[in-house]
Amino acid sequence: MTGSGRKLEYGFVLAVMALALSLSATGQTVVAPPAAPATRSIAKAEIPPVPSMFGESTERSIKVDPSINLSLCVSEGTLKVNGWTRNELRVFVQDGSNFEFKTQQTSPKTGDPVWVMVTAVSDRNKVVPRSECIRGGDIEIDIPVNAAVNVKGQDVTSTIDGVRKASVKIIGGNTFIRNVTDGVTVSGGQGGIAVESSSGAMSLDSTTGNIVVFEAGPSDIGDIFRAKTNGGAISLEKITHRQIEVNSISGSVSYSGSLLNGGSYSFGTSNGSIRLTLPTDTSSTVSASYGFGAFRSEIPITTITENISEGPVKSTVGRIGGGDSTLRLTTNNGSISIRKP
Amino acid sequence: MKQDCLDIGIIQAFLDGELAHTESARVSGHVATCDACALMLADAEDESALVFPALEREFASLVPTQRLWSKINASIETEKQSAPFWQRAWAFITLNLTTPSFVAAAGMIVVFGIAALLIIDRGYKSPQVAGVRPVQVSAPQPAAPPVASASSPDTVVSNIPETRPIMAEQISLRSAVRRPRTTTVTGTPAFASPDVSNGYFPGEESYVKTIASLSRSVESAKDAVMRPGERVAYERDMAVVDDAIAKMRTEVKRNPRNESAKQVLYSSYQNKIDLLNSVSQKEELVASLK
Repeated sequence: MTGSGRKLEYGFVLAVMALALSLSATGQTVVAPPAAPATRSIAKAEIPPVPSMFGESTERSIKVDPSINLSLCVSEGTLKVNGWTRNELRVFVQDGSNFEFKTQQTSPKTGDPVWVMVTAVSDRNKVVPRSECIRGGDIEIDIPVNAAVNVKGQDVTSTIDGVRKASVKIIGGNTFIRNVTDGVTVSGGQGGIAVESSSGAMSLDSTTGNIVVFEAGPSDIGDIFRAKTNGGAISLEKITHRQIEVNSISGSVSYSGSLLNGGSYSFGTSNGSIRLTLPTDTSSTVSASYGFGAFRSEIPITTITENISEGPVKSTVGRIGGGDSTLRLTTNNGSISIRKP
Repeated sequence: MKQDCLDIGIIQAFLDGELAHTESARVSGHVATCDACALMLADAEDESALVFPALEREFASLVPTQRLWSKINASIETEKQSAPFWQRAWAFITLNLTTPSFVAAAGMIVVFGIAALLIIDRGYKSPQVAGVRPVQVSAPQPAAPPVASASSPDTVVSNIPETRPIMAEQISLRSAVRRPRTTTVTGTPAFASPDVSNGYFPGEESYVKTIASLSRSVESAKDAVMRPGERVAYERDMAVVDDAIAKMRTEVKRNPRNESAKQVLYSSYQNKIDLLNSVSQKEELVASLK
């Protein structure tokens, strides 16, 4: 080979290398085929599992009725349910059990599923699940905004956001509910419960966890708000239900918001204090029973009857403003205070 | 009243929402044109309005259906196991009385039995009337010894000596079997000192009975379903509630007109029921997850 020929060859090789370098710098490649999206493509067919040391990852989706009712049982893991505007249910389980959709009922009009259960099935290693409950490091569910979600489980940290109705029944783990429009029922076991910007009838129940609610109201006239915990504290702010029943056994109760005319409000605890922050224009008839504590109010109360003699229980009945709502406060061993905002 | 006026039963069914849609439409159409039926409907509505608020407390205090059924089934099972032989035999006989072949066979046995008795009896004269022959019968031992113990001040103890001779016809076995069951309810150790001798305060008894019933099931289950931390919290809360019940009960006894103490007493009872319910609900949930 001649010297000019060698030069040409080197030049060609250098040019190819320079071209490859420049292309890789711009994020493209001409050699490798386009990378498949991780495991998130929406398809009814099962996505090949992603190898993991904890379990496999699976994603499935199905076309559903907008008013779908979803039921699932989660033995452990983190569950996130998110409402979206598509008539499609998508479930993604990362590092967890394989699962399937069981259509329990279809819509007579559209034929789309209106009641679907998500249940665990054997994985590729033919490991038969111990129950129908799925488990996973992360379980993500996208579901129509008009859906009702029913979750039961063991140790689950669940977040439900932007659906019509939510019902959670778990043994342990915290529950966060947000933007639910037509009712929330949570039996939280040992876990705490937090509800935010939601409406409808509410029933929140925990054994040792705290209950925190911020901005909740009725979706229909007569919707009741109930919160009960045995050993935790209850904190409520900006609740617009006209009937509120709150009870704790050995925790404190705090409420900040208005008392609506004609409303009925009951706050009780056996061993804790009750703190209310009410606007100065509140109109309510107050009935307070308390034991080894004191009853104080920054808002003027016109006393109707009072029994503060020696004994395990004292009582005061009085009126704030016109007395248009009913406020019942009960504590055996704690103080009651009403403050201005 | 016209010939085609509605029956009061149909009106009541209409009020209760038990009629089919078409029937319901027919009734409402008829009532719109018939004064007599409209009057009857108004009367029935008034009666319902009077009765339902009175029963509202009873309706509201119902236990959730699933748990109720499980308790009923458990009680039936327990009763079946604890029933004496003669009771089971009687139940078997009454159940099979509807079967013609069984009745025929039983009839034949009775006829043969009477004939045999007559033949035997012809041989000698009985010294006594069979029906009043003294029989030595021991009063049945209490089915639940721990609660029937005389050491418990709350226990109702039978006055009948255990070995007293009793005429066979004078014994009501049914009542003898029932006796310890009464003590089981009133003497449940889990409940904070119900004072049977002084009676209950108005409305208190239903709470006490519900608590006693729940306590029995929860006591055996709580170790299995609760984790140690939760168990500690449960015992603490139970102590708080029991303390409140005891204090308020003393106060109400001292001053029966203290409405606040009564209110706290009943809410404490309700707290105790809720606390016990939380354990049984958890038991149900754990079972459903398996």
